[in-house]
Order: sequence, then structure tokens, then C-alpha cells
Amino acid sequence: MVVEMLGKLKEKLQSFIRRVEENVEKEEDEAKKKGLLDKILMIEIKEKDIEEALEDLELELLEADVALEVVDELKDRIKRNLVGKKVRIGTNKEKIIEEAVRKAVLEILTPEKKMDLLEEIKKAEKPYVILFVGFNGSGKTTTIAKLAHWLKKNGFSVVIAASDTFRAGAIEQLEEHAKKVGVKVIKHKYGADPAAVAYDAIQHAKARGIDVVLIDTAGRSETNRNLMDEMKKIARVTKPNLVIFVGDSLAGNAIVEQARQFNQAVKIDGVILTKLDADARGGAALSISHVINAPILFVGIGQGYEDLIPFDERWFVEKILGEESA
Amino acid sequence: SLGRALSNALKKIARAGSVDEALVKEVVRDIQRALLQADVNVRLVLKLTKEIQRRALEEKPPAGISKKEHIIKIVYEELTKFLGTEAKPIEIKEKPTVLLTVGVQGSGKTTTVAKLARYFQKRGYKVGVVCSDTWRPGAYHQLKQLLDPYHIEVFGDPNEKDAVKLAKEGVEYFKTRDVDLIIVDTAGRHKEEKDLIEEMRMISEEIRPHEVILVIDGTIGQQAYNQALAFKEATPIGSIIVTKLDSSAKGGGALSAVAATGAPIKFIGVGEKIDDLEPFDPARFVSRLLGLGDI
Repeated sequence: MVVEMLGKLKEKLQSFIRRVEENVEKEEDEAKKKGLLDKILMIEIKEKDIEEALEDLELELLEADVALEVVDELKDRIKRNLVGKKVRIGTNKEKIIEEAVRKAVLEILTPEKKMDLLEEIKKAEKPYVILFVGFNGSGKTTTIAKLAHWLKKNGFSVVIAASDTFRAGAIEQLEEHAKKVGVKVIKHKYGADPAAVAYDAIQHAKARGIDVVLIDTAGRSETNRNLMDEMKKIARVTKPNLVIFVGDSLAGNAIVEQARQFNQAVKIDGVILTKLDADARGGAALSISHVINAPILFVGIGQGYEDLIPFDERWFVEKILGEESA
Repeated sequence: SLGRALSNALKKIARAGSVDEALVKEVVRDIQRALLQADVNVRLVLKLTKEIQRRALEEKPPAGISKKEHIIKIVYEELTKFLGTEAKPIEIKEKPTVLLTVGVQGSGKTTTVAKLARYFQKRGYKVGVVCSDTWRPGAYHQLKQLLDPYHIEVFGDPNEKDAVKLAKEGVEYFKTRDVDLIIVDTAGRHKEEKDLIEEMRMISEEIRPHEVILVIDGTIGQQAYNQALAFKEATPIGSIIVTKLDSSAKGGGALSAVAATGAPIKFIGVGEKIDDLEPFDPARFVSRLLGLGDI
């Protein structure tokens, strides 16, 4: 299903490639007509060859929910990769243009540091602590249940800290999920100090030799100073091995500011994107990667516990650009 | 930010000796970018700005108004055309009036239902709330916890799996309890979840609400239009509530939902507390979209 959704973006990128190719071929034809072909061997890709196609691509990227500033960045990179490039006359230009686009997308999408979560957990001292943060309604609690399920499947023991002590029904929601995936929840009462709950969960994990602690926190707005401070406090007390930002794939430009503010308050190590099954176009993935330079670890594609799949940049680029022709 | 870029562009006009076509086009492009960054639907932005450009080039500003002021005025007029000039309240004429809330997962329905219940209770109405969310664990607890302090009764059953049955029984129950207003909360769903969209249609048919309210997340991007359209095709959306506008989100997706459904925005959510619900103000919303701050 995900493949089908991203197919739309793929179509647009391919149409961009085709158009640039046509423009360059036109120049080649003109050179042919003028009888210049004996004298020149290469055609240079000029700005005017890509400009119009780039403007159309801009609209398509915007429709795919790539944030405006990321669209600008992508356009710049594609331009930089293409303008001035010399193509040998008579050769297949498609590959060269596609390569430039692929490179630009991959550059935006690939963080400096890659991460293999299972390996990280294996080599770390027990318990490995993961703190989940994010905006309201992005899907933190459900994602935690899915990740707990995934970790158990991979042979790890898990305990969850119910540190969202604010939102009504949050603790009950987490408990019901935890019961279904067979994981213990450490909880206090509503209104309790979230950092204290998380601390208790870590102590519990230490005493029982549990591998992983997942900390659920309340959703918060990046503009709420108090709640952002509370989040910093939880991070200070729990010293997490990993901070995961849970973001909504349906969000548009708003996700850029969110991600930026969260990253500033607590350094984000990885991202999980939710609701990708809602016909989301995947643009949020590009936007987030660009803003916080942290890897996307998983994407959520439904409401079931199995609906969480590991994310791979190359896989994503292949899905939107087609397999590498090389 | 873009808000600044936009006001810079407008200043550009103010400084320019004469306003020519190139300048107007430049400003229109800046406005376009402001709207796109606010997550207004791309096609809608193109349509809007085309009209803005046409008017800016053809219309002569009235006496005493500068070209710059005139262009801003055109932008406001075109945007408010979508939003309606004033807030339309939810009317409670019949007793009991039944409201049904629908929306995508995590858009804020349950919190909004509690806010609405409290809003009307404060205005002297007796309110009953029905939880028909059979999907998300803790949904019933969430409503109870939000509304128990105000003694607003919640009908629900965490063990019942049939949402249509729950909604129907809940409405029947409150009809015998002499309430003025019944608000029905539903599970979150999106347009690709065909079974859930069908379930929503059945709930709506079964309880025949006076008004169906689409609750939409202020941070939603380009999918707002298509999601809203899918909801509208299944149930007659009568009004929209935009949530999470206490964040830096500009809420342009909501404008797209308005365009898709033809329904007016009636309230906005501006925080997590039960009183954080405000009647919609078109003028403030437009300045937010354009990144101009409150004016």
C-alpha cells in the first residue's frame, strides 16, 4: 500500500526527468541542424533547460507535503547537480538527470549518522532507555505499543513508563495496549511527576534485568514553554539512550517548526513517522530529515501492532524514484 | 520567516515609486509562498492568487488608499470569501439537539467533544456525551475523566465492539434523560480505511444528527482537502472545528477543508484545557495564514 502512495511522487519526479531530457535533446537536435555535431561532442545542461520543469516539480513536491523550505533546498541541490553538467551527444540523458535528482533527494534524506536499533540495544548496558516525545495526537502511545511488540518479537524484554500523567485516559490507553502485547506498565496517578514515573520504571527494569524501558510522555506544543521544560526535566532524570520524535505524516509545513523546537529542547536521535497509510505522500519524511538531521527509524502504516515497519532511506528513494538503473 | 518575507514584499510596494505589473507579480508570488507555507492546498492557492493578481492589476484603488493597502485588502477579501465574514454559532433549537463529531486519528475529537460539552453547559444547557469509539483503548476513560468533574454524564461501554449500536443506544438513553444537547464522539479514521468510513456513514444514518462536525488538526498539510472530501461524501458535514492552533501551525489545511466541504469553521481549539475553545474569528485566522500576526 505504501508503494502505491509514494507512486504519485515517483510519477512527478519521472515527469521532471523526462522534461529536462526533452529540452536537452532539443538542443542536441538544433546542434545537429546547424551541422555542429562534428565540432562538439558534449551538450551542456543549461538553467533554462530545467527551470520550467523545476517550477512544476516545486508544485508537486508541495502537494506531497514537502515543506516549502525543504522544497527550496531540494530545488537548489537539483539545480546545482544539473546545471553545467555536460552530456555526451547521442547518449542516454535520462540516467544522468535521474542520478542528479536521486542524489539530491538522498542527500536531504540521509542523516550523518545511521543507526541499527537492535545492535544498539544489544551492545548497551541494561536497561536501554527510549524516551518518546512529540506533538499532541501524533500517535506516541500507539507507536510505543507497536515498538514494544516489535522488540519482544526480536527477543527483548520490555517495560513501559506511563509518564503521560496529564492527558485524560492516557494511562488506561497504555495499559490496555500493554496487556495485549504482554508488557508491564509502571504507573502513578494522574497529575504525578512524569520524571518520577520514568525513574521508577528504570529502577524496576534494573531490578528485574529488563532489556528496554519505553517512556510515554504527554503530547505537547512546541510553543508551550512549561511543557517543553517538563520534557527537558524527564530527559535529565532518565538520561535516555535514545530520544525518538513521533511525527504525523499528514502534517504539512507545521512539522518543520515542531521538529526544530523539539530538537532544540532535547536532542532527537531518531524519528518515527505515523499514519503513512492515510494516503500521506511522504513529504514529511523529507522535511523532518532535513530539519533535524536524525534518521527515520520506523514508519507506522495502520492501527494494528504489526503496522510498524523499519525505514530505510534507500528503500524510500527507490520507492519514489524507481530502482537504481545501474 | 515567511511572515517577515511577506511584510517585506508589501513594504517593497510601499517604497516603490510606481506599481507596475512585475511588482504586482512579485508580491503575488510572495503571498503564494505565504499561503503554501501555511499549508493551504496548492491548487487552491493557485486559484486564489490568480484572482488576486487579476484584481490587483485591473482595479484602481479607491481615493485615499495606496496601491499597497489595496492589494492587502484584495487578499483579505478573497480569503474571507472562503471563510465567511463572521462566526456562525452552533444552534440549539430542538430538544435534544444531536451533534456528531468525526475526524482523522489524533485530530483532537475527544478533547473537543469535552470542550464543546463544557462550553454549552456553561451556557445553561444540560448536556450528555456518547462515546462510540470502540477502537482506541482508553477512549471512554478519557471522556469520563474530562467530564466527571463537571458532572456531565458520559454514555459508553469499553467492552462493546459495535460502534453503530453504541451510538444509537447512547442517543436513545439521553433522550430519556431530558438533556438539551447530545454530543456523540466517534473513533478516529482516515479516508483509506473504507470500513471505518462506512461505519461512520452508518452511525450518521442511524442517529440522524442535527449537525455533523468535522474536527481537523491545525497542523494538517495537503491531505486536508482529500480527507475532508471523503468525510463529506459519507456524511453531511455541517461545520468544522480546527484544533491545536496554540502551536506554531498556521492552519491552512483547515481552509482547504472548508473549501472541500463548503462547511463553515465554528470553533478553534487553542490548548489542552477544557476551556481552551474559542468561537472562530475569520479576520484573525486570515492574518495567521499570511503570517502577519494579530492585527
